[in-house]
Amino acid sequence: MKKDVKKYLLTAVAAVLLLAFPLLVDNLYIQHSFFMIFLFATIGLGWNLIGGYGAQLSLGHAAFFAVGAYTAVLFVIYQSLTPLIGGLVGVVIAVAVAGLIGYPCFRLRGPYFTLATIAAGEIVRTLLLHFQDFTGGANGIPLPYKGDNFLFLQFSSKAPYYYLALAMFVVVFFLVRYLEHAKMGRYLAAIREDQDAAESLGVQTHKVKMFALLISAAITAACGVLYAFSVSFIDPDSVAGLNLSIEIAVVVIVGGIGTLWGPVIGSVVVIFLTEMTNLYLGDIRSGASLVLYGLLLILVISIRPQGLSSFFRRN
Amino acid sequence: MDIFLQTTINGLMIGGVYALVAVGLTLIFGVMGIVNFAQGEFVMLGMYASWMLATYLKVGPYPGLLPVGLIMLAVGYIVFRTLIARVVGKPDEVAILLTLGLSIFLQNVILVIYGADYLTVQTTIKDAALNFAGLSLPLARVVAFVVALIFVGLLSYMLAKTDLGRAMRACAENRNIATLLGINPKFIFTLAFAIGIVMAGLAGVLLTPMFYVYPGIGTLFNLTAFVVVVLGGMGSVPGALLGGLIIGILESLTGTYVALDLAPIGTWLVFLLVLFLRPSGLFGRRVN
Repeated sequence: MKKDVKKYLLTAVAAVLLLAFPLLVDNLYIQHSFFMIFLFATIGLGWNLIGGYGAQLSLGHAAFFAVGAYTAVLFVIYQSLTPLIGGLVGVVIAVAVAGLIGYPCFRLRGPYFTLATIAAGEIVRTLLLHFQDFTGGANGIPLPYKGDNFLFLQFSSKAPYYYLALAMFVVVFFLVRYLEHAKMGRYLAAIREDQDAAESLGVQTHKVKMFALLISAAITAACGVLYAFSVSFIDPDSVAGLNLSIEIAVVVIVGGIGTLWGPVIGSVVVIFLTEMTNLYLGDIRSGASLVLYGLLLILVISIRPQGLSSFFRRN
Repeated sequence: MDIFLQTTINGLMIGGVYALVAVGLTLIFGVMGIVNFAQGEFVMLGMYASWMLATYLKVGPYPGLLPVGLIMLAVGYIVFRTLIARVVGKPDEVAILLTLGLSIFLQNVILVIYGADYLTVQTTIKDAALNFAGLSLPLARVVAFVVALIFVGLLSYMLAKTDLGRAMRACAENRNIATLLGINPKFIFTLAFAIGIVMAGLAGVLLTPMFYVYPGIGTLFNLTAFVVVVLGGMGSVPGALLGGLIIGILESLTGTYVALDLAPIGTWLVFLLVLFLRPSGLFGRRVN
């Protein structure tokens, strides 16, 4: 009982601090860093559904991210359509793309799914680069300024984006927490432990994995929309590149694959490290932060495959 | 028609080098079940080694094959013993993530050391070409193709006819029974991994006269090699050879007839098509 009180108190304090944060810290750079932490934590939670709980390693989530981002932005540019609808269309397209990848791959075992997700990411990136009259190609595409307008997700300050990312994070966190203990989570756990046994007990493994992938893609695409409007500029290499797909996976793996808090802890650690190395080493040589990434990934996999969140668990 | 023939031959030539990279990948996968996501980075290391030999010691690209091969053998040995040995026999994802980390690490260590500049090796072979029947074959490509095929042939021979090759195939079949027969699997795995890395490094040497050398180039070969291996059938050496040639030609044709910057798309579409229609690839065992 006493423990419960402590837990609620802690949650309440954390909630107040997170809500008041933009009022307490008015440094734009730090506000943006926190925005990125929540954004990556949310994508990580989504990635974890298929990559962690489903044990189907995706290295192509940037494809979903980019489809969401580009669809919403292009609708604003060509149709002046609000991203609240354009983004929804983007999410639907991303889910369709995910279905196309998942359908053939989930019949197979082995690394096929991973390779197919890389293929999907590269196809999206190459197409965005190629159709430059429409997408702006390698130069990227800036968002036309529509004034301080919620309908176009454009604000004169950083704080609204922070709150949007925080809100999205909270919603996705509780969704994943629910799914973890719902039928889907149990089925995924069974598949991860022993696919044959799960199948013999009547689990439709193909369908379950597919469901996890589709939700995961939808979450990632929604994050892509929010990202695009917060930075008001997107280009194929930064939103559809293999590096982004890898970064998403690294966040979860460093934090703890297949755990609820893993993506959260991973996002805090990885974004903090990235920002720090960019701040202090970025001028010396580009690539320094990525050396660290690679090293972190190697170390976690070979020394602590359960990730950093396992240090916090009591049992 | 001439353009068609020229395009096809150009693709075939580069396809030979793809085959060499992919053969290394498929050997490593076939023998120890490791999906090596850093294969392309070893091609990149081979290119930098070749570039350094040419720049500092004035060793031309082709005499450099031997020293680079030996260096890569040592690199392969060290990488296997320090990292890869830990994950042999673990689920696919573990090896993928470990080698992915290695790939990011290697790529960016080179970036930090040498910067992002595009380096070139100055050789006279660059501009030389064989001309016949109205076709022009750049000499560097011809040499790369022939040498790559020789190495692929040597590897196939080794696997098929020598005791070492038989031991490797035995370990691939069943590690425990191979141990009972007096084979030391750790030694065989180390050697197979190192040979796979040597193949990648040698491909790098052969590519140096025709490609720019820069830290990110490995990614290109990584991705292509995977498509080749899946197309040929994972673990199959003849499959990797045929797959390499097919992908080389396909890429070249897409680049010429569709659009140059869409060349990789043809490759990716074939890859997805193979997954739909025949996931075991051309020569692979059936997968379910």
